[in-house]
Amino acid sequence: MWEIIQESLPQLLAAGFKYTIPLALISFFFGLIIALVTALIRLSRQHGLFMLLKWLAQFYVWLFRSTPLLVQLFIVFFGLPYLRIKGVLPHGIKLEPFTAGIITFSLNTGAYASETIRAAISAVPSGQWEAGAAIGMTRLQVLWRIIIPQALRIALPPLSNSFISLVKDTSLAASITIMEMFEVSQQIAAANYQPLLMYTLVALIYAVFTTVLSGIQHYLEKRLGSQIRVS
Amino acid sequence: MKLTQINKVYGKKHVLKDVTLEIPAGKITVMVGPSGSGKSTILRSLNLLVTPESGQYDFNGHQIDFSQKISSKEKLAIRRETGMVFQDYNLFPHKTVLNNVIEGPTQVLKMGRKQASELARELLTKVGMADYSDVYPNELSGGQAQRVAIARALAMKPQYLLLDEPTSALDPELELSVLKVLLRLAREKQSMVLVTHNMAFAKQIADKIVFIEEGQVLYDGGPEEFFSQNNPNDRIKNFIASMTMENLS
Repeated sequence: MWEIIQESLPQLLAAGFKYTIPLALISFFFGLIIALVTALIRLSRQHGLFMLLKWLAQFYVWLFRSTPLLVQLFIVFFGLPYLRIKGVLPHGIKLEPFTAGIITFSLNTGAYASETIRAAISAVPSGQWEAGAAIGMTRLQVLWRIIIPQALRIALPPLSNSFISLVKDTSLAASITIMEMFEVSQQIAAANYQPLLMYTLVALIYAVFTTVLSGIQHYLEKRLGSQIRVS
Repeated sequence: MKLTQINKVYGKKHVLKDVTLEIPAGKITVMVGPSGSGKSTILRSLNLLVTPESGQYDFNGHQIDFSQKISSKEKLAIRRETGMVFQDYNLFPHKTVLNNVIEGPTQVLKMGRKQASELARELLTKVGMADYSDVYPNELSGGQAQRVAIARALAMKPQYLLLDEPTSALDPELELSVLKVLLRLAREKQSMVLVTHNMAFAKQIADKIVFIEEGQVLYDGGPEEFFSQNNPNDRIKNFIASMTMENLS
């Protein structure tokens, strides 16, 4: 048994560092940007063009929260090449597996995280908006300097949860031919007929990854917290 | 500062009815009246945290017609020339006392950090909070927090300081520490509009008293006549009596 582990562990770890972790980190980064923009649109005052943007933002959040992630991956990777529009898109949208993965995971995380951020911004007492306005700050200044720093602190624990989910969800990328850890473990299991051992091993590696990553996140949380205090 | 015939409606509630009010510079105007009478709404109209539906507002060369849309430039200008102190302080919890005070000068007036810090220390000394520059608001008592909030408002060098029940959330001893600061500002001829339930303090500090009830001005004049036993208005006499607990039994 040790031999099998010794043989397969390096392959699994290599796949983890090459695909699983980059997928999670890059998607979370873009997901957060998407989430912040979406949350701000949804919280904006209602008039004119903003109504359309608000409706779009709401539709996007609904779409990605109400459909399975696996299905979303399939649509983006296997489905979009068939989105052919004469003159505009004659060959459909063909994406590299990794790109399709990043796009889907970012959009999916963004939809969930936008609700977290929206709730966090709403949770900052309205007196803070008034206090900022009363010293003559613009709405944007109040938002960036007063509201968002406080909202981030409120949002950090739930965002950290989303991140851990994302790390585990990257295993779904196996289904769109990305050679991430779970895909590699399946291939090894198929070759050496040790599915119990292989899948337990890969499960343990996920556990180690999420534990270490959430440890880092925890450290960043503290640092960000203290930075906010100092600034 | 002058409000002419302003009206404010919240839903079906007509909270301000044709309020006309002059607020002299260099004086202390105290607004009193029962809860929900519209005093705070008037105060908030003065720095446009609340915008009435109709009426005129003249202040420092700004002429505002509330029935027209107010440009955000004008709004910001008026807020820059007024300072607001809230009942529940509303200090920025993620900033130190010093950073709370310099936020307006550095961000709005674009003053350098060094110059703003000097100004802030001066103001914090004035309100007796000089030793707390690097402390965060959650470590302050209510009275201390409110004094920092006063320094924060003064840092914008406002023409008028607006105070919305600044001591209502404080116990009597802490209240005194804030009232002393306000008295000192009054002696320096800082123009102030104060909404309060503290009649003893109103009597002592006011140059002018405005009594508001149900969105209307029932009294507008000097404090002597207002607090006099011969005030012809029974409603006001009853109000004062109940606020000072004169005839409890």
